[in-house]
Amino acid sequence: MNEQPLRQSEGQEPILRTVDLRKGYTRGRGWRGKRQHVQSLQGIDLQVRAGQSLALIGASGSGKSTLARCLAGLERPDSGELWIAGRNCGYSSHSREFTQVHLIFQDCGLSTNPRFTASEIVSEPLLISHWGTRAERTDRAINLMKTVGLPADAAGRRAGEFSGGQRRRLAVARALALEPRVLILDEALAGLDLSTQGQMANLLLEIQQARALTYLWISHDLSLVLRLASEIAVMDEGRIVESASVREWFAGPRSPQGQDLLQASRAWRSGAER
Amino acid sequence: MPQGSAEFGAFCPTLRPFPGAARYQMKGKLKFGLLGLVLIHLVVLGARVFAPYDPAEQHRDSPFAPPMRLHWVDARGHTHLRPFVYALVYHPESSAAVPYKEDRNRRLPVRFFVEKAIAGVEAQGAKHLRLFGVDPPGEIFLLGTDDFGRDQLSRLLYGGQVSLFAGLFAAALSLGLGVLLGSASGFYGSWLDAIIMRGAEIFMALPWIYLLFAVRAFLPLHVGARESFFLLVGVIGLTGWARPSRLVRGVVLSAKHREYVLAARSFGASNFYLLRRHILSETYGVVLTQAALLIPQYILAEVTFSFLGLGVSEPAPSWGNMLAALQKLSVLESYWWMFAAGLVLVPVFLFYHLVADALQQGA
Repeated sequence: MNEQPLRQSEGQEPILRTVDLRKGYTRGRGWRGKRQHVQSLQGIDLQVRAGQSLALIGASGSGKSTLARCLAGLERPDSGELWIAGRNCGYSSHSREFTQVHLIFQDCGLSTNPRFTASEIVSEPLLISHWGTRAERTDRAINLMKTVGLPADAAGRRAGEFSGGQRRRLAVARALALEPRVLILDEALAGLDLSTQGQMANLLLEIQQARALTYLWISHDLSLVLRLASEIAVMDEGRIVESASVREWFAGPRSPQGQDLLQASRAWRSGAER
Repeated sequence: MPQGSAEFGAFCPTLRPFPGAARYQMKGKLKFGLLGLVLIHLVVLGARVFAPYDPAEQHRDSPFAPPMRLHWVDARGHTHLRPFVYALVYHPESSAAVPYKEDRNRRLPVRFFVEKAIAGVEAQGAKHLRLFGVDPPGEIFLLGTDDFGRDQLSRLLYGGQVSLFAGLFAAALSLGLGVLLGSASGFYGSWLDAIIMRGAEIFMALPWIYLLFAVRAFLPLHVGARESFFLLVGVIGLTGWARPSRLVRGVVLSAKHREYVLAARSFGASNFYLLRRHILSETYGVVLTQAALLIPQYILAEVTFSFLGLGVSEPAPSWGNMLAALQKLSVLESYWWMFAAGLVLVPVFLFYHLVADALQQGA
């Protein structure tokens, strides 16, 4: 019952589908040193439909980020299949399908090169995929910056001059450059003050509606998840132990790990209210 | 509160007056050092104009002539606007260490922008412009002459072309190789890294001055000035890649795991793109600092080799083979102007180290 795939919709191919995805890391090398094998993903079966908003939650070290990196093509899984929009790209090192999935990193301050100007950052994916001329790329970068609510005159400023919230907007603009169909948001709202967090959340929801995007939220903040996602999947020790719609899940998680997470969040909240 | 801050200042003597001070100081140093180096190199490059004689032109009647003094006031107390020198008279029978005397009756006014014939048979009496000179048959030796009566100042300027640029080219060679191997090693890792780094360790462990001797020993004894110059540059440059490559490797290792590199990779960037756009730009600081440290080191290497007779050979001048005359004790004792090529290394090294220091502060 636990590893049941998410609400299967007949006829429509899910935009992301993984079958028994496994990924492990080896630590400690050298011919005398003991090799330590850490199995981060122990068989992930996940299906995400187009337009869905799925939240991936779980304790630290449960394999959420590894899964995100595998889905974005940054890590190659050891075994299993990965289907993006109906095409298998589990074993090719970097197939074109991965441009349809983009990962927005935990700390956007680090994911933008401080030496680059804003328009260079946003147009970088275009440059990499040899899209258009330099002027066309800059134009498009400025348009993208407008859609994420950055002023057009910020295009010439360097990334180091932007605030944390603005840099996240830059990262979102960059992620949209190649018109992906899936955005993976790894703690995209963490570390911001509440009002900026709210603005970013609204912006992301607007963009999702306007562009029919599929979101995969990776978050610890259950209250945000409740507002932003429609489905939830709980990970523990490299497995998906539970998946449900957000409403169902908040009413009563079935898996013990899910119960723990919800309980912890409620206990913390009631503690804060007292 | 002012009292408190004064106390704090006393406890921290290195406290800077304002946050940008270090950067400001760095820029001033860098400008000063670069300006000095550019001036020295320009003068050396313009040796054809600045030098009063050709470097190989011999004045057999005045060996080891001391530097002439520029005068403005003559023996009779008249002041002249145009500086002049007195002709030197050679007294071979004199027992003095320097058997020369100024002839107060032969005043040689210094002429500026003179046409002078180029020495040598091939020149066929061609002339070119020189910054200064005296009317023939008078001679002007502002830094004295060596044992063949060759003008030291002219040899110093022409020799700088060899010594300074040997250092420059050798450093460019070893830095180019260092960046290439270091970035390949840091970026691709695994077996390539292992091979390159073991190679670097071997090169660093080698006593390279003896290695250069060995390499030189393989080659024919008499090599032309041009060939021996490039040989020296090649050998010094090729043996020196290990240290810069290790430094570049370190920078690349830390740079390749940055999130913006990962982000670019997730857009499908090739390794070449990542290296070019994101990673190599981080190595500039290290490379520039290394350049400012390696160039003087390599200039010294050239000087050492030519001093030992393994580098650029006579009659072509280099600062090293100019100093080779000092291998004789009698020269070392009596003719202090033969140290000129050694002394001129001091400002060059100081400027380079100033630049290196400023770059390091900025990095």
